[in-house]
Amino acid sequence: MYRYIIRRLIQAIPTLFGITVLSFLLMSAAPGGPTAAMSFSPQTSPEQRARLEAQLGVNDPWHMQYLYWLIGDTWVRRDTDGDGEGDMWGQRKGILRGDFGRSFTRGKRPVIELIGEFVKPTIELTGSALLVGLLFGLPIGIFAAIGRGGWFDNISRVMAVIFSAIPNFWLGLVLILIFSSTLKQADGSPFLPSSWQCNPTLIKCPPIYERLEYLILPVFTLGTAYIAGYSRYMRTSMLDIISQDYIRTAHSKGLTPRMVWFRHGARNALIPIATFLGPAITGLLGGAVLTETIFSWPGLGRQAIQAVTAQDYPFVMAFVVIGAVATIIGYIISDILYALIDPRIRFN
Amino acid sequence: MRTLIKLAVATMLLALVSALVVPVAAQEDPGEDGGTIITSTFGSGPDTFSQIYCTDTACSAMVGFMYIGLLGVDPVEAQIVPGATGALARDWEVSEDNLTYTFHLRDDWFWSDGEPITAQDILYHWEIINTPEAQHPDAWLTDVISSVEAPDDYTLVVTFPDPQCTALNYAGGLAPVPSHYLSQFAPEELVDLPFNLEPDITSGPFYFEGARPGATTNLLGYDDYVDAELGYVAPYRLVQVVSADQTVQVEQLLNGEINVLEGPPVNRRDEIRNAEGIQVFEFPGNSWDYVGLNLADPTNPQPALDPDTGERIDQGIHPIFGDKRVRQALAHAINIDAMIESAVFGEGQRMAAHIIPSSWAYNPDLPPREYNPDLAVEMLAEAGWVIEDGVMTCRGCLYATEVDPNFEGSPMTFELLTNAGNTRREAIGIVVQDELAQLGITVDFQTIDFNTLLDVMDSQEFDAFILGWRNGYPDDPNTVQLFGAEADVPGSGFNFTSFYNEEYFELEQQALTVPGCDLDARREIYYRMQEIMQDEMPYIWLFVQNGFYAARDTVEGFAPYPSQLWWNVDTWTVQQ
Repeated sequence: MYRYIIRRLIQAIPTLFGITVLSFLLMSAAPGGPTAAMSFSPQTSPEQRARLEAQLGVNDPWHMQYLYWLIGDTWVRRDTDGDGEGDMWGQRKGILRGDFGRSFTRGKRPVIELIGEFVKPTIELTGSALLVGLLFGLPIGIFAAIGRGGWFDNISRVMAVIFSAIPNFWLGLVLILIFSSTLKQADGSPFLPSSWQCNPTLIKCPPIYERLEYLILPVFTLGTAYIAGYSRYMRTSMLDIISQDYIRTAHSKGLTPRMVWFRHGARNALIPIATFLGPAITGLLGGAVLTETIFSWPGLGRQAIQAVTAQDYPFVMAFVVIGAVATIIGYIISDILYALIDPRIRFN
Repeated sequence: MRTLIKLAVATMLLALVSALVVPVAAQEDPGEDGGTIITSTFGSGPDTFSQIYCTDTACSAMVGFMYIGLLGVDPVEAQIVPGATGALARDWEVSEDNLTYTFHLRDDWFWSDGEPITAQDILYHWEIINTPEAQHPDAWLTDVISSVEAPDDYTLVVTFPDPQCTALNYAGGLAPVPSHYLSQFAPEELVDLPFNLEPDITSGPFYFEGARPGATTNLLGYDDYVDAELGYVAPYRLVQVVSADQTVQVEQLLNGEINVLEGPPVNRRDEIRNAEGIQVFEFPGNSWDYVGLNLADPTNPQPALDPDTGERIDQGIHPIFGDKRVRQALAHAINIDAMIESAVFGEGQRMAAHIIPSSWAYNPDLPPREYNPDLAVEMLAEAGWVIEDGVMTCRGCLYATEVDPNFEGSPMTFELLTNAGNTRREAIGIVVQDELAQLGITVDFQTIDFNTLLDVMDSQEFDAFILGWRNGYPDDPNTVQLFGAEADVPGSGFNFTSFYNEEYFELEQQALTVPGCDLDARREIYYRMQEIMQDEMPYIWLFVQNGFYAARDTVEGFAPYPSQLWWNVDTWTVQQ
C-alpha cells in the first residue's frame, strides 16, 4: 500500500505543476492587474502607480513572476521605487521553500497565515453540513430503497430533486428572510441569527455545541444538497445490492428482513459511497463560497472570492495550490478507502 | 426650636453635599453601562491593525479609533486646523516660499504604556518610509516630501519639493508610531510583528480588546484619552463586525444586530428613514459620477506631451466629442434630475462642474446645464449635426470639415461603457441611451468587467464611459492627476479623456501656490476653473451621491457632520 501511495504522490507532481502554471498564466492574463484598482484614485500619479507595481513585482514578465513565486527572488536585486534600479535584495523564498508569499493588499501579511485563520470556520461549517448530509442522506437512501415505489421513496425522491435544484444562495436568502427578518423572538430579536459564528461582542467563540443557533441556517442551506445527493447515491447503491444473489440467499436462509437489509445490504451498499468521501473532504475547503458570503461566515471561500476580485495573486495561488493538493490527496484517500472496504480490490 | 435649627442646618448641609457630589457623580465614567457601539464593514474585514501597513477602509476605521494623527480636522469647517481634537500638532508655521512647515507639537500626549508621544515617533516613521526593506505602502510620500527633521522633541520640520497648498494632506500621512517599541526590530521584521495583529500600545480613544479574523474587531474605551470631551470615554466597547454586503448590513441595523451604519444602499434608505427607533443624518457626499468623453482620436492614442521635450503632441480629435459644442449639447439633452431619481432614488445632488457641492471651493453661482432637448438640437445643428429621417447625421460637422470629408453623412453613434454589476451606473447608461435615442443618436451601451474597463480607459481607445470618483476628506481640490497634461498618457495617468486647456492648467498651478495659501484667493481661482470645466465638458457632470449615516435610537450622542460620523464618539453611550 505504501508503494502505491508513494507512486500516486509522485504521479501527482506534474499534475500539480501544470495546475500552477495554468493558474498563474490565466491570472496574469486577466485584464486590469492588481494595481489598477488599488491605485484608482484621483490623487495617484503614474509614477506612484509604477512604484506600486515595482513594489509588488507585477511589472516583471509573467514567466519571471512565476519563477519568483516558485523558487523565490532572494538572488535578485529588486527595484522598489520604480526607477529601474535594484535597491534591495528580494525577500521571497518561493513556494518550493514553503513561502507562499504575502498578500498584495491585506496588510502585506503572509497568505498562508491568512488562510490558516480562515480555514477553521470553513471546515466548521462544511464539516457540519457534510455530517448532516451523511446522517440524514444515508438512512433516507436506505429506507427509500427498501420501500421502493412506496410513499417514502416517492417523497424522498421529489425532495431530493427539489433540494438539488434549488441554488444555495437562493435558499439561504429565503431562510434569512423567514427566520431572521420576519420571525422574531419575544424581545424583538431575530428568531435565528442571520450571520457570524457567535455573538459579535465575544473575542473568542465558545465551543461549537454552545452556539448551534448560529449554525442552523447556514448548515441547513449547505446540508440540503448533501442530503439530496447522498440519499440518491445510497438508494441507487442499495437497489443494486439487494438484487444480488447473496441477498436472495440470505432471505432464503430465513434471516429477518432487518438483518438482511442492514447487515448484508446497507454495509455493502456503503462501499461505492466511500468513493465520494474523498472529493467531499476536499470540498470542505472551498465548497461553501456562496453560503459563507450570504451568512457573513468568516471562512476561506469568501476570502478567496475577494482575493480573485482584487487580483491578489499570492492569495489566489496559495488557494489554488492548497485546493489542488487537497483534491489529489482526496482521491488517493478515496482509492485507499475503497480498497480497504472491498477485499476484492488490491492496490496492485 | 433647637430641633428646627438642627433640621435646617442638616438640610442645608445635605443640599451643599448634593450640589458638590451630584455633578461629580454625573461625570463619572459609566463603565460597562456606557454600552457597546456595534458598527459594520463589508468585504474581508481588517487584516492588520498596524498604522504602517493598514491600507483598506476596514482597518483604517479601527486604526483611527486606536491612534491619534499628526493633524486633525475641524468637523464644522471640514478643514485641517491647528489644535484639532485628537491631533499631535498644536499649530504650525509656513515659510514664505511655502516649502517648509514647522509643526509645534503638544506635550500632553502619551502612549498607553506611559511613554510620551514626541517628534521622534514621527521621525522614526519617516525613516521606515524611506527604508525599502520595511515595505511601507506609503513609500510614494518620498516623492512629495523632501525631508523631515526634529530639532527637539516637540518640534517637527517638514520640507516639500514644491510649494503646494495641499501639502498638509501629505504631512498628514506622517502619523506618530510607537518608536520606543518598534525601533528594537529590524525594518524587514516590522511587517510580521505580532504587534500588528494585537496592538498593545495605542494612543486614541479606544484600545484593542481582540479580534476574530473576518468576523469582528473589539475595542474598549480608553479612559486616559487626553482629549476626551467628558474627561473619560463614555462607550464601554466598540465592535466592528464584518457583514456580507450592504443589503445584509441594512437588515442587521433594522434587526438591531448592529446599532450604527454608514452609507447604506440608496434603495433601502427610505426603509431606514421610516423605520421606528432609528435616527439618520444625511449630507452631500463626496462620491460623484460622470460620463467621460474621449476628446482625442481613439484610433491613434497619443500622450498630450512629448516625454523628452515637453512639447504638446497632436492627439487628433474624436469624430463626435472632439467638438466642444457637441459635448455641451449632449449635456442639455440628458435629464439628469430624472437620472438621479432612477439611478439613486433621488439620493443625489447635481454637479455643475468638477468640484463637489460640499467643498469649500464649490462655486454656488454656477448652475448645472439645464435639461433642454430643443436647445440641444439647436446647438448640434450649429455644430453641423442635423436630424435626417430620425437619425442625427453629420452635415458639415467639425470632423468632416477638418479631418475626414468622408465622414460627411455619418450617423452619430458611439459606444458607452461602464462596469458590470454596478446597478447605479447601469441605470445611468440606460437613461443616457434612451434620452439620446430621442434625438436620433445611437448609443451602444455595454457593461464590462471593471478591470477590463480600466484597461480600455488606460488605452484611451474608447468613445465614452460612465464612472465615478470619490474625493478625499477633507476635500482640497487638486486635479493635476485627473485633468493635467502630464496625466494624459495612454497606458497610465487618469486624464483618459485627453482634456487640454492652457488657462485651466495655469489656474491650477496658481491655486496650488497662492502665497500663504489664502483660502479666499484660492476659492476665486477654483470658481473660474469650474466655469472652464463647465464650458469644456470633458465629462458630462452628473451628480454627487448623498451621504447617509444611521444609528439606533439607543445610541445617545449621535450628532454627525458631513463625512464626520465619529468626531465625538468618546461621548456616545448606548442603552443596553
